[in-house]
Amino acid sequence: MIYVRAAIFFTWVLGLATTMSVQAQLVSDMDDESRLYAETKQVNQFFRRFNGEEDDKGDRYDPKDRQYQSVKLRKKYLGMLFDAGNAGIKSDLKAQFGKDVLEGANPVILDFHGGNWFAEVHTTFLYNNKAQTMILFLKLEKDHLGTKWVIDRVHADMFDPYFKRDTTKVGKFLHPLSHELDFMNLRKAFQNSDSVSQFAGKRFVADHLSVFLYEIKKGNLKFKTVDEVKFHFFQIPGWYFELSEFNRPGNNNGWLISNLVSLKSESERNILRKYLYYETK
Amino acid sequence: MHSIKYVYALLLSLCILGQASAQKGEISPSRKQAIDSLALEKVRDLSKYISIIGNKKTPFSEAQRVMDRAEELFAPDSEMGVSSLNRKEVNYYKVRKYFERLMALNYDRVSIEWYDIHYISDLERQPDGRYVGVVTIYQRFEGESDDGLKYKDTTKKDITIYVERKKTQIQGRTIEFWDVMLGDIRVTETSA
Repeated sequence: MIYVRAAIFFTWVLGLATTMSVQAQLVSDMDDESRLYAETKQVNQFFRRFNGEEDDKGDRYDPKDRQYQSVKLRKKYLGMLFDAGNAGIKSDLKAQFGKDVLEGANPVILDFHGGNWFAEVHTTFLYNNKAQTMILFLKLEKDHLGTKWVIDRVHADMFDPYFKRDTTKVGKFLHPLSHELDFMNLRKAFQNSDSVSQFAGKRFVADHLSVFLYEIKKGNLKFKTVDEVKFHFFQIPGWYFELSEFNRPGNNNGWLISNLVSLKSESERNILRKYLYYETK
Repeated sequence: MHSIKYVYALLLSLCILGQASAQKGEISPSRKQAIDSLALEKVRDLSKYISIIGNKKTPFSEAQRVMDRAEELFAPDSEMGVSSLNRKEVNYYKVRKYFERLMALNYDRVSIEWYDIHYISDLERQPDGRYVGVVTIYQRFEGESDDGLKYKDTTKKDITIYVERKKTQIQGRTIEFWDVMLGDIRVTETSA
């Protein structure tokens, strides 16, 4: 009983406090407001609009609500989730995508924890006081009670020359009986640092993330700023799309689909993934 | 101000008592709505404080006091990451430093207004069990100097909120409640 009374009292105080606190002046410019409402303000809002899980004002629908994930609502939102300025995304491709996502026996819903999507973050670091671009690929990973973003890969053009080698030429090598001499010819192999990568195996792929972490630990690489963030989605079967942020006049703004590709096979999907990761092998 | 916040937390705790989901530190959809309101209330407090700190008519001592109050809304180590349309590079400031820079802006008249638009993300659980969300709001700034120099911009503020289950003792009873703290804020200039 005492809790009920207290709750009634506190509800009254809550109402009073809410009234008191809305003192900050509000802007009343309808043009600006409609632009801001239209903007896909967060990646979270992209998910909710794509899935049809919120109303025009961005308030969540209850999962029991008739509108929640309804095809009609999703159709309305999907049209405004593309970068309208990108003529490269043909309207028939968008239409096919919409059909696959909304009209199949099982409409496709984007799942934040569903994997198969990752972030590409362009950053600037100072390497011995010179600005260098580092591209970080991050993915969500479960850990203890929740999830976190982790650095899955790194690509930096500045690391490439260190691992470059021409595998088409015979080049330098350790002859096949080197073991009989306790590999004494390693001394010659390591004499010239420029050719040292020729002694690595054919399948060797440089891991920029390891080099990146090493250079930071050594104090050679210092973070400066984040330049750009985008996301790559492979979560929808048969499709890839890129999500980028647009900040420009008009209503087609915020987090929008900036690239869309129909993937016909697993090998096409793998080729595209490798391309996005700057992999050459 | 403190007592009002305490009342909010207490109200939430009363609503939460006895909920099985709360026992596991999980948030039910209805509880999420209550937490959204609490988060929004803290964001509104911050908006109000920013308007006061930026206002040139606010006496220095009052601005300092308001900065103290505003700082209390934040988790330790919170930062503001600021960029503009012309300058993409993000500059990072500790919250206090950001307020001090706002107060020291070289205008004779400053007007800070807020759009009646906000967006509240879903809450996601972190490895440490706390929940995190982002509230987006928009601010319009106008500064004017006596020599006629005018500047205005609209900025988007993406505000991190941390939601944590806490315990307090009231008259020998242990009351559990969800508390909301603000965290890092990303400030971007918009084309609006």
